[in-house]
Amino acid sequence: MKIPEHISRAETLRCLGNSSVAMNDEMQSLLDSCEEKLLRSLRPKWLYKRLNPSECGLLEGESIREHLSGCGDAVLMCVTLGTETDRLIRSAQVEDMASAVVLDAMASVATEQLCDELEAEIAAKFPEKSLTWRFSPGYGDYPISLQKTFLSLLDAPRRIGLCTNDSSILTPMKSVTAIIGLSDAPVERKRRGCAGCNLNKTCKFRKAGTRCDF
Amino acid sequence: MTFNDLLKNEYIFLDGAMGTMLQKSGLPLGEMPELLNLTHPELIEDIHRQYIDAGAQVVYANTFGANGYKLEGSGHTASEVIPAAVRNARKAADGRALVALDIGPIGQLMEPSGAMSFDEAYNYFKEEIVAGADADLIIFETFTDLLELKAGVLAAKENSDKPVLATMTFEQNGRTFAGASVASAALTLQGLGVDALGVNCSLGPDELKPIVAELAGISRVPLIVKPNAGLPDPVTNTYDILPDDFAASLRSIAGLGSVKFVGGCCGTTPDYIRALIKSLEGMSFRMNEPKGETAVCSGTTAVEISQPRIIGERINPTGKKLFKQALVNNDIDYILSQAISQVKAGADILDVNVGLPEIDEKEMMVRVVKALQSVVDVPLQIDSTKPDVLDAALRVYNGKPIVNSVNGEEKSLSAVLPLVKKYGASVIGLTLDENGIPKTAEGRFAIAKRIVDRAVEYGISPKDVYIDCLTLTVSAEQDACRETLTALHRVKTELGCKTCLGVSNISFGLPDRELINHIFLTMALEEGLDLPIINPNDELMTGAVRAYKVLSGIDRNASEFIASRTETEPKQTKIQSSHVTLSEAVQNGLKGEARALTEKLLGTKDAMEIVNTELIPALDRVGADFEKNKIFLPQLIQSANTAQVCFEVIKAQLSKGDSSPVSKGKIILATVKGDIHDIGKNIVKVLLDNYGYTVVDLGRDVEPSLIVRTAVEQNIRLIGLSALMTTTLGSMEETIALIRSTPELQAEDGSSRCTVMVGGAVLTPEYAERIGADYYCRDAKESVDTAKKFFGK
Repeated sequence: MKIPEHISRAETLRCLGNSSVAMNDEMQSLLDSCEEKLLRSLRPKWLYKRLNPSECGLLEGESIREHLSGCGDAVLMCVTLGTETDRLIRSAQVEDMASAVVLDAMASVATEQLCDELEAEIAAKFPEKSLTWRFSPGYGDYPISLQKTFLSLLDAPRRIGLCTNDSSILTPMKSVTAIIGLSDAPVERKRRGCAGCNLNKTCKFRKAGTRCDF
Repeated sequence: MTFNDLLKNEYIFLDGAMGTMLQKSGLPLGEMPELLNLTHPELIEDIHRQYIDAGAQVVYANTFGANGYKLEGSGHTASEVIPAAVRNARKAADGRALVALDIGPIGQLMEPSGAMSFDEAYNYFKEEIVAGADADLIIFETFTDLLELKAGVLAAKENSDKPVLATMTFEQNGRTFAGASVASAALTLQGLGVDALGVNCSLGPDELKPIVAELAGISRVPLIVKPNAGLPDPVTNTYDILPDDFAASLRSIAGLGSVKFVGGCCGTTPDYIRALIKSLEGMSFRMNEPKGETAVCSGTTAVEISQPRIIGERINPTGKKLFKQALVNNDIDYILSQAISQVKAGADILDVNVGLPEIDEKEMMVRVVKALQSVVDVPLQIDSTKPDVLDAALRVYNGKPIVNSVNGEEKSLSAVLPLVKKYGASVIGLTLDENGIPKTAEGRFAIAKRIVDRAVEYGISPKDVYIDCLTLTVSAEQDACRETLTALHRVKTELGCKTCLGVSNISFGLPDRELINHIFLTMALEEGLDLPIINPNDELMTGAVRAYKVLSGIDRNASEFIASRTETEPKQTKIQSSHVTLSEAVQNGLKGEARALTEKLLGTKDAMEIVNTELIPALDRVGADFEKNKIFLPQLIQSANTAQVCFEVIKAQLSKGDSSPVSKGKIILATVKGDIHDIGKNIVKVLLDNYGYTVVDLGRDVEPSLIVRTAVEQNIRLIGLSALMTTTLGSMEETIALIRSTPELQAEDGSSRCTVMVGGAVLTPEYAERIGADYYCRDAKESVDTAKKFFGK
């Protein structure tokens, strides 16, 4: 699996809430220096595992059943950028909040890029299967408290140091867990859409009249 | 058989994996393996027996995850599971092997990465240790966070008298997931008095060899090596090397020396242990003489005192009005920024002193040490005159710190040295006693010797005592300088101790102090000074140390020196500063220009007039641009930070006189209990600060009662709360309910005297209203608008 060598600039600007702003030199050099620092901080780790979700207590609520309909097995996955990135963002918050905001956005983008890479690796591992998109605890009515189950099924605390706390916050912070359905029949990879999104009332994209396109 | 009997063997053979054997037994996965101690005792006993039959002399009871956190919801407690596990192992051992209480990480990350506090971790470990009273020894394994492991080792030392072994899990880059380095682990653990330390899991023996080699060069206690059977397949989680290869690799590792305890981790079975024992036949154990000089460390970084190292002295309120103010206002960020700037300037170690009569020094020291370790990697020097403050700080410190200080007075020696020993620190020894500072080098040397002798009596190595021969003011006693340097030289050469010295005292009362300080520092370095305590931001002083290292041949090829001279300055902006007005400087984030312009304006204008007619309107324009999506959030912040620079200039000017600092009102900010995502709250803080409000930042994961107490005690009427997760909105609601129901925060008619503003990604205006907040703030800018509305300015 490839570790990102660049952080998508377009995605970073979208994360910062506004890609229509004319770029100036100061902003450009802030982005450049943050990208360099962020890339140096990355200690990415990931795990995945094929299993039968109904046997592992993973089918809670309607959303996940709908998401996995037609799938027998599924792949459980997790990725983390590691504690060093958290530390970088933390210390930037003391030193220069403007950098911290950029680093935080870039780290989120890097996490998604890493997820995309991992998803491609999983797809290559199961060429005969059709994959659903990544579904995570907290989407729709899928309980976020399942983070602990996801991590323990993957043995993630021991194998890659990825844990959760009582509020189901993943630590290190820049981490993702997800489940991908494996289907024999082609899966329609529809967008997640705004209706099922927990942020649909507060999202900054919707407020600005656009969408995040996820 | 006892642990001491066992130590008489050349090597001590540990067992192999429990999990691998359980998988082979065909039991369904998913259940906590520790519960099998209760449900399938005969199975667990059989696995232990197989290992003992293979030759294992120590078996790890099946207690790895049997802690209160992981067992929660299982219907069982550590005090049920652990005694059963030890019984199962004991039955299998039947006098042929020792039984170890096996303790793994709790299962959630500690502060600052996670939310678990040092005390919480300690209490989980204590529960396990008490429950495991029937075991023969205690083994901590698979740790990645050195501080969590320290909590465990302290819990073991304070609640039992069993031997304690500790192993960590390293990656191929020589660090654990949490960033601990090999040297930090060794320095810290041997300091805490473990009987053996080492590595287990994550890698196979060949990958672990370089890590063991590093340990074998520095550890003063025997090593433990318990590798996996090679590397795991990411999907099937099976391992790739066979017993004979495993055994051959371990034979070569044992040849590194100092390796005493050997066994296997994931993927290994009794066959691996059998092969291992056979492969070490005929070899004999030898303990290496540790290489290298004394060193101190943080959780991630070790600093060897093999050459002059700069101790930064700026975290200290003495004579610093702004620093004192920061302590009184709980402004931890100010202290952190002092730390970061010193490290950037070249400090290798930071002294930390927060002693001020009007604050609780112990509580503040613990907070500051934790906060510092969350943002800087350098080791710290804990500086206090109070033993209870030292004790509290040493406890939560991640790594091996320096204690500042002990002196030759018996009262000091007997109070401080036991702490230094217990926590495995180094200590500064001041050459003074109840009779004051001896005038002569002879007198100071005698005290230094007394301190070192007493340290040795307490079991502290003389290498870990750094002697300070004390700088006196040369304008008062001109010959004292020579006495200091002579004493320093003798301590270095005759006692073999490292030396330290605060430098700037020398020039007190003289003109051109920098020049005197600089030359004195150079003279002291030549006499053998190892640890100058200086202001690293003073380029002349830091430069002197760097130049000394070149001239004395330490900095080979002058590479560090050259690097320090060519570090690129941040790109200067193209705008011609001569044409910029103050408000343009603020809008464009030009800090240097803004500072200069403010200083100039203060000559002609009243401070408040500058604030109200220049700074605030400029910030308002930037805010409006942000709202209209004309600029990015980082640009808004840069402008706000630039305004902050101006406010600081103004504050510094005002605090010279007697007028009170510019503040438009006090606001509490907190990220609610259970939530550790606090970047949003911190952005709000920066903006409010920069608009001239005084923010009392209570941090993240904050108890509702602390928020209420602060509001009552400091008479604060505007409270900002943030929560990022749906799971923590509940604690936001609880916090607001507590604010509303606290009598001290109610008016006579029972209505609330506090205004609450809330924000966070998952919050909606409707939800904010439902939980009783007064204002919903969509973004950081809106929290400033709310503050303006509230304070009417």
